[in-house]
Amino acid sequence: MSLGHYLALGGLLFLIGIFGALTRRNIVGILMSIELMFNAANINLAAFNHFLHPGGVAGMATALFIITVAAAEVVVGLALVLAIYRNSATVYVEDFDLLKG
Amino acid sequence: MIVDAIAFYSMAAVAVTGAVLVVTLRNAVHSALALGLSLAGVAGIFAALGADFLFAAQLLIYVGAIAVLIVFVLMLLGRASDLRLRQVNQQWAAALLICAITGVGLFHLAKLFGGIGAAAASRPTTRPLGLLMLGDYVLCFELVSLVLLAALLGAIFFSHKDAP
Repeated sequence: MSLGHYLALGGLLFLIGIFGALTRRNIVGILMSIELMFNAANINLAAFNHFLHPGGVAGMATALFIITVAAAEVVVGLALVLAIYRNSATVYVEDFDLLKG
Repeated sequence: MIVDAIAFYSMAAVAVTGAVLVVTLRNAVHSALALGLSLAGVAGIFAALGADFLFAAQLLIYVGAIAVLIVFVLMLLGRASDLRLRQVNQQWAAALLICAITGVGLFHLAKLFGGIGAAAASRPTTRPLGLLMLGDYVLCFELVSLVLLAALLGAIFFSHKDAP
């Protein structure tokens, strides 16, 4: 297997994530698509680490930081979704117009 | 070599199938379960790359915590009538166009790296990762713990009953 195979897989997952984030109406669906994009970036980091810098672990360390920040992001995002749902009783993003004035 | 190819293609199939199901299924709970499947496939890709600690962290944090958390939140949200509503907006053609343009660029980039073959056999990475985290990256390590604390407090604040 070459580095290109892993990069192609990362790119494919990223495209699926972008498509989901652009087309889903459900806010939790958008959050799930964003998680897919984070995973695509992590695959690329681990692949570059494995093929271009076999002895080092810096790429994996960066991927670990991304996993941590993604966990924080999804926790705060889901708490915000719950708060918005309590106020407006909808999960569809086109109905989120609280800030429109 | 052939073992590498089998590991890569099977895990890639799991990850991509799960991802496609995440963005196409109508029922959001089914999407979340497919997300767990896709994340497990990505964990398998990490194992194929010799990133053993990343494999364990992916299974623990993503599959064990994030996917389960999303399923929990989905059980608190929504109504039964959501299953009959359209789950995608009308912009799918524009989204497909954006994906096509981005995809062409990404796959040209991936082709540039096609000639780089397998490196030396991988070694355990947990000890070097720990040394790096508490050596060169110690400031990032402490900062990320602060980020986690802030996320914890923010989640409690926003999901509290009297939140603004």
